[in-house]
Amino acid sequence: MDADSDVALDILITNVVCVFRTRCHLNLRKIALEGANVIYKRDVGKVLMKLRKPRITATIWSSGKIICTGATSEEEAKFGARRLARSLQKLGFQVIFTDFKVVNVLAVCNMPFEIRLPEFTKNNRPHASYEPELHPAVCYRIKSLRATLQIFSTGSITVTGPNVKAVATAVEQVYPFVFESRKEIL
Amino acid sequence: MPGGGRCPDCGSTELVEDSHYSQNQLVCSDCGCVVTEGVLTTTFTDEGNLREVTYSRSTGENEQVSRSQQRGLCRVRDLCRVLQLPPTFEDTAVAYYQQAYQHSGIRAARLQKKEVLVGCCVLITCRQRNWPLTMGTICTLLYADLDVFSGTYMQMVKLLGLDVPSLCLVDLVKTYCSSFKLFEASPSVPAKYVEDKEKMLSRTLQLVELADETWLVTGRHPLPVITAATFLAWQSLRPSDRLTCSLARFCKLASVDLPYPASSRLQELLAVLLRLAEQLAWLQVLKLDKRSVVAHVGDLLQHRHMLVRKAFRDGTAEPDALDAREKELQGPGQGQGWGKEDRGDGSLDLLAGKRPASPALLLPPCMLKPPKRICPTPPVSTVTGDENISDSEIEQYLRTPQEVRDFQRAQAARQAATSVPNPP
Repeated sequence: MDADSDVALDILITNVVCVFRTRCHLNLRKIALEGANVIYKRDVGKVLMKLRKPRITATIWSSGKIICTGATSEEEAKFGARRLARSLQKLGFQVIFTDFKVVNVLAVCNMPFEIRLPEFTKNNRPHASYEPELHPAVCYRIKSLRATLQIFSTGSITVTGPNVKAVATAVEQVYPFVFESRKEIL
Repeated sequence: MPGGGRCPDCGSTELVEDSHYSQNQLVCSDCGCVVTEGVLTTTFTDEGNLREVTYSRSTGENEQVSRSQQRGLCRVRDLCRVLQLPPTFEDTAVAYYQQAYQHSGIRAARLQKKEVLVGCCVLITCRQRNWPLTMGTICTLLYADLDVFSGTYMQMVKLLGLDVPSLCLVDLVKTYCSSFKLFEASPSVPAKYVEDKEKMLSRTLQLVELADETWLVTGRHPLPVITAATFLAWQSLRPSDRLTCSLARFCKLASVDLPYPASSRLQELLAVLLRLAEQLAWLQVLKLDKRSVVAHVGDLLQHRHMLVRKAFRDGTAEPDALDAREKELQGPGQGQGWGKEDRGDGSLDLLAGKRPASPALLLPPCMLKPPKRICPTPPVSTVTGDENISDSEIEQYLRTPQEVRDFQRAQAARQAATSVPNPP
């Protein structure tokens, strides 16, 4: 079958999660007092800080570990993380921007055809898992890329992976299998 | 008397091991000089030998069958008996339970999880032998939550590396339909509502098959679709008497629980039947609606394959062009690519990337409903991640000293207000 026809698939990245360390202890009370756009969760010991320009929410722990979520690309995530580190520097902490790593990327992709899920599961047995009583989509795991795809019968696919390249490769890898099980006119 | 030791003071070899309270000492029995003494405190490794050994490490507990495992195995057998499964199923389910129990994640799990594990083993056994059993039934029997059940089920399939086939729809229809109590007259079921089992079963199967082809089954829970199909089959076999009976009343008469989504599935099925009716010449003139189409379900089901094929195509396509296209699709080159450039004539407009709003197309229900929000296309960003950050950009994220003072004052005032109780 001709799965290599030049159909350009738009992969829309909806979320990028990254972590970095500041290598210094952070006084959460001071951040909560002197920072704007912060939420202090005293019971769990963390501060949530939201940036506007790259729309990012950062979770800050007193140990200096920070997790940033909400970016729409890896570069944006890095930019937002550096901005955050800079704000903390301005507050008076001896911040060093180290150990930056993109941890998780969530993307959405739309196939131009509907997919027969029971047939797809039967053809891709070990990787695909389909339980209609629990969830309407097929869960397809690619171990080598550490990526998980959720394939819906409408042709919409949600991919999560460790970085953007893995996500793109995962979609490329799954396309021929999904193409096989597409809805045909009889 | 230990050999080789000499007292450093008098040189005698008469050394005695003695203890001063709890401290061991080596003492010269002639002059009383303490040659060596033991340590008062013990190290961690010393104490490791003195500590009690836990039961789980001492008696080989992991090699034996524990009491909770025995209880679990008993429950597996009981559940198989309650469900009236063949005897071979019991042995397989018990084997799965024992296999699962060998993993430490299951062995150390809470009792709630172990109870649910019983149901998972029975479900997997039934699925592998094509015995139609739904998760809903098991959860009701075990009084378990579906979320807990689903988590344990997925964990078990992953741990044991099992290949579980999907639920067989045809068998489920047969079992579920047979449970409807409408096949004999009784005080609660009037004679006009009684129906022949074989006729109802065959019609329900045809309706479920139709629902499967038209996207009503994929991705959804199977039971509500089957309930709706059974109701429609029952109604259509004697429409004059049964059109007045509602879905809820039908389920009550048949003493079957009505699953919540069944009414929307029924509406979707009726909509599909109406669309098929538009293709039949002698029904087009009748101008049917959702109630009157029920009487013609028999006709529609008889010709359903041809009607579905026609309904999926664009209504304006000529028969000749359609035949030519069919031959092309079934040709030796297999299906031509579905890319935009492979579209020959306009009769297959639905191959276009985004759907046209043609009402003749049979699409999955979620695609027919308008999208709730239109996603704006994201602007192309030129961020590289390593740009310079100016001070002015950072200022907006910090409070000025005046703001800090105001904030502290406001916090103090709020604390004072909450601490003073309001007068009644």
